[in-house]
Formats: sequence, structure tokens, C-alpha cells
Amino acid sequence: MLPLTPARVPAAAGTGHWPDLIWTLVRTDFKTRYHGTIGGFVWALLKPLSMFVVLLAVFSFVFAGEPQYRLDLIIGLFLYEFFQESTKTGLLSLRAKAYLLTKARFPSWVVVVTSASNALITLLLFSVVLVTFLALAGRAPSPAGVALYVWYQLHFFAIVTGFSLAASVLFMRFRDLNQVWEVVTQAGFFIAPIIYPIGVLPERLHVLLYVWPPTPIILFSRSVLLDGRVPSPLAHALLSLEALAIVGIGALVYRWRAPRVAEEL
Amino acid sequence: MARPVLEARGVSKSFEIPSVRRDTVREHALDLFRRRRTEQLCVLDSVSVSLMAGESVGLMGRNGSGKSTLLKILSGIYTADAGDVIARAPITPILELGIGWNPDLDAIDNVELLGTVMGMSLRELRRATGEILAFAGLERFARLELRHYSSGMAARLAYAVAFRAVRDVLILDEIFAVGDAEFKERCQERYRALHAAGHAMLLVSHEPRTIGSYCDRALLLEGGRIMLDGPAAEVAAAYVSLLTETDLQTRVG
Repeated sequence: MLPLTPARVPAAAGTGHWPDLIWTLVRTDFKTRYHGTIGGFVWALLKPLSMFVVLLAVFSFVFAGEPQYRLDLIIGLFLYEFFQESTKTGLLSLRAKAYLLTKARFPSWVVVVTSASNALITLLLFSVVLVTFLALAGRAPSPAGVALYVWYQLHFFAIVTGFSLAASVLFMRFRDLNQVWEVVTQAGFFIAPIIYPIGVLPERLHVLLYVWPPTPIILFSRSVLLDGRVPSPLAHALLSLEALAIVGIGALVYRWRAPRVAEEL
Repeated sequence: MARPVLEARGVSKSFEIPSVRRDTVREHALDLFRRRRTEQLCVLDSVSVSLMAGESVGLMGRNGSGKSTLLKILSGIYTADAGDVIARAPITPILELGIGWNPDLDAIDNVELLGTVMGMSLRELRRATGEILAFAGLERFARLELRHYSSGMAARLAYAVAFRAVRDVLILDEIFAVGDAEFKERCQERYRALHAAGHAMLLVSHEPRTIGSYCDRALLLEGGRIMLDGPAAEVAAAYVSLLTETDLQTRVG
């Protein structure tokens, strides 16, 4: 017989090695996503760079007379891609990890929170490429601008997490929620001022557009990185309030439904 | 007086069986004003179980008697509708391990995934990977993706991880039904070693000989209630009688 030495596992219920669990979930998700692709991990790292170069080349040709617009467009497209991708994987996260949730007792919110990791890595790499490009083009954003940009992305991550917490448990009851959400995010692409400047719409509508979370994130990010303008303290406060509200509602919905998730998987 | 390491007091559990299933936003919207009746399917009815340190308890019952639901409630995976579950020591459930892996990952990555979920640290897992693969007899396939594994190989790997991640209390569902004779023997030896080391075990099996040989005491679950709690051999015999009786009734009927 090959003896197996019992592990020294923590006495508390559930897992006691959260950093290890989080790291393993992030690492295996990353590995699974790029499994079988040509170049594997290298492609994961090159994707934001190659997308940036392609979009910049195409938009430089199409919008040759408006150098500012092409960068506005690229920032909008990347940030919206992050939103679309991370909310989609977040919504399906519990279902995707059903094989773990039905076998052991561990906090399922870890699965939801780590589900955005792939999209977050892409966003991080895009941000590095963007800031490097701006610096090389002689338009380097100020350190305060970069810090604010990071602050906005943390808000974005919080918003995505709040949504995912609620949506992942509601998905157990509404099995077409992912399709409904896909339609919403497709329509939402045109609500967020990605391809058009917000100024073309009447000012009274702006407040409605700001309710759609990607709108303030995209506009504020462009503002601090490209224009060097810092949004007002009130605008920052409203963004934080919006993020807090979404996280709060998400956590409440999750707390309400999560105890029954394993039964519904 | 020693207290049980795991205790369930008056645990009840029902599942809702709706007359019409509504699983989508569309179905909910279309049937908004239509009344829907739901029936309660009572799976466990005021079940009390206790497990002392170092004790090996068997759980028997026909299919649908509520065994799996009880195990999941005791493991903390399901929530009871009523009653209390008191765990005074950490639990390792070994349930449904034959199914569900990430097919795109190789054995080593899957071992790390399942091992960390079961409470092991990565450092421990990395030290133990060789031992786990050897127990499963899969050293040669360490870097093979799980999609290429047979169901038996996958189940062996899962049991090897779970047997390495053992805590004070083990909850096991049909563990001796997996793999070939050699692997079964390895699992049985491992079970005996853990029992000798003082782990408390709750073992589900349909096999009277298994319950009789490996358990000190056993419970017979029937229709969501504990029908008998006594020495393992007696309970195993009662289970056989219950099956024979049912079989006879079916034939006569």
C-alpha cells in the first residue's frame, strides 16, 4: 500500500488558505482560457498590445483629421470590453465551478470575485500599453492622472463584482439571464459615449447616461489620461456612491440566495 | 462526558416541486399572473445523528431515502430547513468525486484546484502531489489533461486528493465502489489506517458486508427518517430484510 500522510489542515470550517485558493482559481482560469491557443500565455500578454496597435492603425487612417477621437474610441472600446467580458463570466461563475461547489464547503463568493481575473489582466496590460504609448507620443499623463485612472478602475472592478454577486445567484433561478444580459450590454454599448461624444446629446439626458456604470468610468478615464482634467469632487463622490450601492445590493442578493446555490446547481 | 464531534438534531429538509417549471426570465414573465402550485417533497424528517471521535458509523438506505441529502447537510454543502448541525471538528466530505473536473487542465493543476478547495495549502499540495498520484496509480499521466482520462482514472485521482486532505471527520459516499480491485484494496487499507488513527467516519454504502466490516455502528434511513440505529451487523441485516421485503411486495403486487 502507498500510505498517504494526512494533511495538516486548518481547524476552522471551510478553507483556511484563502490566498492559495484565490491564486489557484486565478491561475487555473487563466490557463484554461488560453489552453490550446497558438502561443498560449504569450498570446494572452500580446493580445492587448496587438489590439491596441491594430485599432490605432485603423482609426489613424479612418479618423486621420481627429487624433483625439481615435484615442477616445480606443479607451472606450477597451473599458467596455472589460465590462462586457467580466460581467459575463461573473454571471456564469457559480455554474462554471459547480464541480467544486457541490463537493466541499468553501465560500462561493471567492469563485465570483476571482471570475473577473482574466478580464482584469487584459485591462491591466492594456493600461500599461496605453500609458506607455502616451508617454512615447509626448502626452504622458501626470502621476496624479494615472493614480486617478487606477482609482476609477478599482471602482469599475467593484461595480463588476457587485453585479456578479447578484447575477451569479439569480442565474440559478433565471437560466436565460446570460442571454438577457448580453442584449442589455449590446444596447448599453450605445448608451455609453464610446463612439460618440457625450456633448452631442442634450444636457438633460446626461444624468441618465451616467447611471449606466461604464459611462462615468470611460469619461473620467479619458479626462485624466488624455485631457489632464480632473472631474469635480461631486462627480467622484457620485461614482463612489454608485459603486457602493451596486456592491451593497449585490452582496445582499448574494446573501439571500447563496445558501441554496449548491442545491440549484 | 465526551461530546460528539458531529451532531445533527432534528434536521428536516424538503424540496419544492412546482407543478410547472419556470426556469427563465421569459417563462416568469409569460406566467406572471398564472397560479402555480408547489408540492413539498420531504426528503428528511427530523433526523438526529451523532458521531463520536474515533467512531465509524455506517449509513444505509434505499435509493431516495435521503442519504445523499443528509451527507450534504452534515458537510455544510446544503442548508437544513429545520434543526441544527453542530460540527465540533473540521470535516472532509468525500462525495460525488467521480464526476466533475476541469477537463482542460492536467492532473497536477486539478489536484491543486481540488486540494485548495478542500483546505490544503499550496505548499503542502506541492509536497504531496507525487504521493497523491502514486496512490491513484497515475504518475505516468500527471501532465495529461483530464479530458483524456477515463471515468475510473478521474475518480481514483479525486479519492487520492480527498484521502490526502483528510481532517478530523470524514464523510464518505460509496468509496469502495471505485476503481479496480487493487485500488479498492488501497482505499480499504487507507480507511482502516484513518480509523485506527482516531478519525471519525460516516460511511454510506449499499453493501451490507462493507458496513458490517468497517463500521462500529450503523443507521438505517427509510423515507427520510432514521428507522434503526444500532450495531453495524444488525442494521446491515435489517437493510437486507427491507430490500427483500420490498422485492417480495413488488413481485406479489
